[in-house]
Amino acid sequence: MDEPISTFKLFGLTFDVGNMVSLVVVAAIVFFFVFALSRKLQMIPTKKQNILEMIVEYTNGLSTNSLSAKNAKPYGLYAFVLFVFLFISNQLGLFLEIAYNGVTYVKSPTSNPIVTMTLAVMALGLAHFAGVSKLGFKGYFKSTYLKPFKFWLPLNIFEEFANFLTLGLRLFGNIFAGELLLGMVNNLAFSHGVVLVIPSFILGMAWVAFSIFIGTIQSLVFVILTFVYISQKIQPEE
Amino acid sequence: MLSQTLFSSVSATEAGGFPIGNILFTAIIFLVLMWLIKHFAWKPLSEMMTQRADKISNDITSAEKSRKDAEELAKKREDALSKSHEDANTIISDAKTSAQKQGEQIVSEARNDAQSVKASAQKDIEQERKDALANTKDDVANLSVEIASKIIQKELKSDDQKALIDSYIEGLGKQNAR
Repeated sequence: MDEPISTFKLFGLTFDVGNMVSLVVVAAIVFFFVFALSRKLQMIPTKKQNILEMIVEYTNGLSTNSLSAKNAKPYGLYAFVLFVFLFISNQLGLFLEIAYNGVTYVKSPTSNPIVTMTLAVMALGLAHFAGVSKLGFKGYFKSTYLKPFKFWLPLNIFEEFANFLTLGLRLFGNIFAGELLLGMVNNLAFSHGVVLVIPSFILGMAWVAFSIFIGTIQSLVFVILTFVYISQKIQPEE
Repeated sequence: MLSQTLFSSVSATEAGGFPIGNILFTAIIFLVLMWLIKHFAWKPLSEMMTQRADKISNDITSAEKSRKDAEELAKKREDALSKSHEDANTIISDAKTSAQKQGEQIVSEARNDAQSVKASAQKDIEQERKDALANTKDDVANLSVEIASKIIQKELKSDDQKALIDSYIEGLGKQNAR
């Protein structure tokens, strides 16, 4: 967190250039990946179409695990984009880290708490919106804040904030820690001459492999939790 | 940080404060990405998947239908076949009964014919026998009368004599019949 960042100000808002570049890179990778796979769609799928359909079926499965098939249908696109976006985001920093003048411009955007918190706000905002549109504002308010008893209200409000914080910080913490440790292994490699290069290399490889696993799991957890929250909001608890 | 001092004009580093604008940027780039994917990949892909699901369900339905049709057709064939078997059986049995009847009729006609032939033959025989007997009677009577008239040379009344001989012959016949 105490790494140098380059920023600029626009409309009184501060922007972090490194983070923006990472986000654009991830978005571009995701878009071209999906775009390339979705060319020449056929009734009988080709190899690449099969890959895309496999991912789509998988994310649809994630949403239908917590929601009924009918309720889950509008969120299919969101689940798909969110999953692929988070997956690429989590892995990007492990393979590509471009620094210029000491400022890291390309790394995992999800190792930045602002990005993960924004995604968490969007996910929870979607959940609350779904609750209001499904149950009406009264029903939504009742089922979200006044259950199981009326005086539970403060606890329920607190729970909403806890949901938001845990959803965002869990992802950030996992990815940030992964990158931090990878950086430490990197520093270790050259700290005592050539002695530690090979052990550090092996350690770094192991840690990258583990981080790939962590990144995959975390993108999965984020999507699953999003749908758990949505299902809590649209199904009044009896 | 050497690079920072060299390039401090661009980097505001920690002094820049909390980059709150990135919240906006993250949200916007995510929404733009979602829109692009929806436009270029999601819609055509889900349309294709829906089409495929429809096609598969249609295929299954039509396959079911043609299977039923085939079954029905086979059943019809089977029925027709068994019906023709029955028909053939009835035709054969009809033919058998009519042949039997005809045969019986022929046999009975033949029997009747034979009966009538036999009866008429018997009648003829009887008639002939009677005629022969009557002729013989007459001949014998005449012969006897001639013999008797020649032997006794006595004039006898022909009718009386005849009656007498007739009674003899009758007695003879009775003896023969015994």
